[in-house]
Amino acid sequence: MAMQLLDRTIDVSTSPVTPASISAEQQRAVELFLFHEVRLLDERRFSEWLALWSEDGRYWVPRFHDQLNPFEQISLFWEDRMLREVRVRRVENARNWSQQPPTRSAHVIGNITIEGADAAGNLIVRSTFQLTEWRSEQRQLAGVVFHKLAAVDDGWEIVLKRVNLVNCDAVFANLEVFI
Amino acid sequence: MTLSLEVLASCVRADSVHKRVYTDPEIFALEMERIYGQAWIYVGHESQVPKTGDYHTTRIGDQDVIMVRAADGKVHVVYNRCPHKGAKVVADGEGCTGKFFRCPYHAWTFKLDGSHLSAPLKSGLEGTCYDPSHPDFSMKKVARVEIYRGFVFACQAAEGPDLKAFLGGVISSIDNLCDRSPVGEVEVAGGSFKVMQSSNWKVFYENLHDTMHARITHESSYVAAREEAKTLGEMPFELLIMDGNGEPYEFWEKLELRAYPNGHGYMEAIFDPAAATRDPVSRAHFSSLSEAYGEARAREIMGMNRHNTILYGSGSPHTVFQQFRKIIPISVDHTMIEIQTFRLKGAPQAVFDRALTYANLINSPSSNVMPDDVEVYKRCQEGNRTNGGDWVSLHRYLGTDLETPDGWVSTNGTSELPMRNQFAAWKQYMLNPPAVTGAGQLQSNMEDGHATA
Repeated sequence: MAMQLLDRTIDVSTSPVTPASISAEQQRAVELFLFHEVRLLDERRFSEWLALWSEDGRYWVPRFHDQLNPFEQISLFWEDRMLREVRVRRVENARNWSQQPPTRSAHVIGNITIEGADAAGNLIVRSTFQLTEWRSEQRQLAGVVFHKLAAVDDGWEIVLKRVNLVNCDAVFANLEVFI
Repeated sequence: MTLSLEVLASCVRADSVHKRVYTDPEIFALEMERIYGQAWIYVGHESQVPKTGDYHTTRIGDQDVIMVRAADGKVHVVYNRCPHKGAKVVADGEGCTGKFFRCPYHAWTFKLDGSHLSAPLKSGLEGTCYDPSHPDFSMKKVARVEIYRGFVFACQAAEGPDLKAFLGGVISSIDNLCDRSPVGEVEVAGGSFKVMQSSNWKVFYENLHDTMHARITHESSYVAAREEAKTLGEMPFELLIMDGNGEPYEFWEKLELRAYPNGHGYMEAIFDPAAATRDPVSRAHFSSLSEAYGEARAREIMGMNRHNTILYGSGSPHTVFQQFRKIIPISVDHTMIEIQTFRLKGAPQAVFDRALTYANLINSPSSNVMPDDVEVYKRCQEGNRTNGGDWVSLHRYLGTDLETPDGWVSTNGTSELPMRNQFAAWKQYMLNPPAVTGAGQLQSNMEDGHATA
C-alpha cells in the first residue's frame, strides 16, 4: 500500500522533546552511520541507501528557510518510500538522458551532535555538510541536516532526513540525486 | 548594425526555421525589444500584493520591474530604477515598502505609483530644471497594465491591442482556472520554484505542445512509475502524473491542439486526475462546484480538461493543477522558469494538496520528469551551434490544420501546428518593430544641463 504523501500525522519537527543521554560509544556509532549513508550516495549504491530507511520514513529538503512543514508550501524534495524508489528506478534506467554522464558527488559531513529525542523516542541528530556535485559543470551545495533515527536490532534506520540548504531559495538547475 | 527585416524574414519558412533564431545574441536582443517590448506579459497575480505597499519584483523580457499595490488599491507596474543615478530601488524578491519607495543610495523617495515624492536637501536643486512633476524625476511606469481575473499583465508599448484582444481564444484557459474555484477566484499560494534551463526560451515554448517527444524523452520516468505501480499493485496520483507520458502514439494522435493568433494555444489533457486509484479529491471538488454553480455547469468546468496552455511571451498556465510557469528569457542560451501554484478559493483543501504534489513532483527542480526535458533542450542548443546543418524542422502535418473562427485546430495531435503558429507570431513581431523605443531618446529638459530661464 502506498504511503499518503500528505499524511499530516508525520512528525517533521526536529526540536527535541526529551534530552538523549548516550554514551561516547553510541555517539560514535551514530557518526559512522551518517558517514556510511553519504558514502552509499557518493558511490551511487542507491538500493543499499533505500534499505537504510524505516517503512514510513520521509526525505525532506524544504524550499524555505525555517519551513514549518511540507504540507502548506512546496518543497525541493518531499519523498516517501514510494517516491524514493521511483527516483532510484529513474536514475538507474538505461534511458535516463539527463544522467548521461551521471552525476558524481562527494559529501563531507561534520559537526555531528545528538540533539535529543522526539516524541516517539527517535534520536535527533544534527550535522553540517558540504557537497560537491559534478555533471558537465561543478556545483557546491551546503547546509545543515537533521536525521531522525530509530534504533533497530543492528543499528539505526532513518525516520526523517531534513536537509536545510543554505541556498534553498536559489534558482536551481536539476536536482536529480539525493542530497 | 541591426539585422535587416529581410534577414529576419528569411529565418522563418512555413515548414522550418533557421537555427540562428536560437543561437544568435543579436536576434535575442531584438526579441527583447520587439516581442517583449510589444506583447502583453504576465507579471504576477494580484494576490501576491494584497496590501498597500506590497510589492513583487519580476521581469518583462530583460527588464526588471516591480508590481506594487498603491494606496488607492490599484496595482501598478514600474521599472525597478531610480531616476537619480539609476540604482535598483528594491532588491529582487517581495516585501512591503510601506507608504513609499525610498532609494537606498541617496534617499530619493517615490509614491507607490512611482511618481516623485521628495529628495533630500532640495535647496541644492534650486535654479536647476529639477521638477518633481516632470517624468524624468519619477520611477517610470510600464506603459500599460491590465488585470484579468486577478492576473496582472503589462505591456511596454503604449499602442496596440488591449489585453483581451491580444489573448483571443486562449483567455478561456484563464477563465477555466478561475472557474474551478466555487467563488471564481484563485490566489498564489505555497511558494514558487525557480529553475534554470541552458537553452533558448523558444525551445521550451515549442516543447509544451510537442506530443511526439513524451514517449521518447520521458521513458526513464514513466517506466520507473509503472514499475513502482506494479510492485504496489495500484496507480496512485503521484505515479499517474508520471505515467501519462508513456501513452502509445495512437493516443497522442487523437489529442486536440488549438492555436490562436499571437502564438498562443492549448493542448488537451493527457490524463484524467479522476483515473487515480484513490481519487476522492475530484469528487469533493465536483460537489463543491455543483453547490456553487449547479451540476451541469460543474461538469462543464471540470470537463474542460486541458494540459499545458501557452500564453506566448508569458509562459504556461496549467488549469487542472492550478499552476503558472512563467518563462523568463535570461540570455540567448539561458531561460529561467518560475513556477507558481494557486489555491482555488473556497475549494476543498485536498484540491490544493494535489496542486502542491503536482508542483513538487512534476515541475520542480527535483522532478523526475523535467531533467530529461532540460537535457534535450540543452542538446538542441549545443547541436545548433555546429555546422551540421542550418534548418530546424516543423514539417509534421503541415497543411492539414484547420482554420476556426478564432484560430486553428489540428487534425492530428502530433501536428507541429503549435510551433508553426509560434513562429508566425515571432515573424510578425520581429518584422514590426515598435514605433518608439524610448531608449536613448532625450526628450527631457535634462538635455543641455542648463536651466532654461
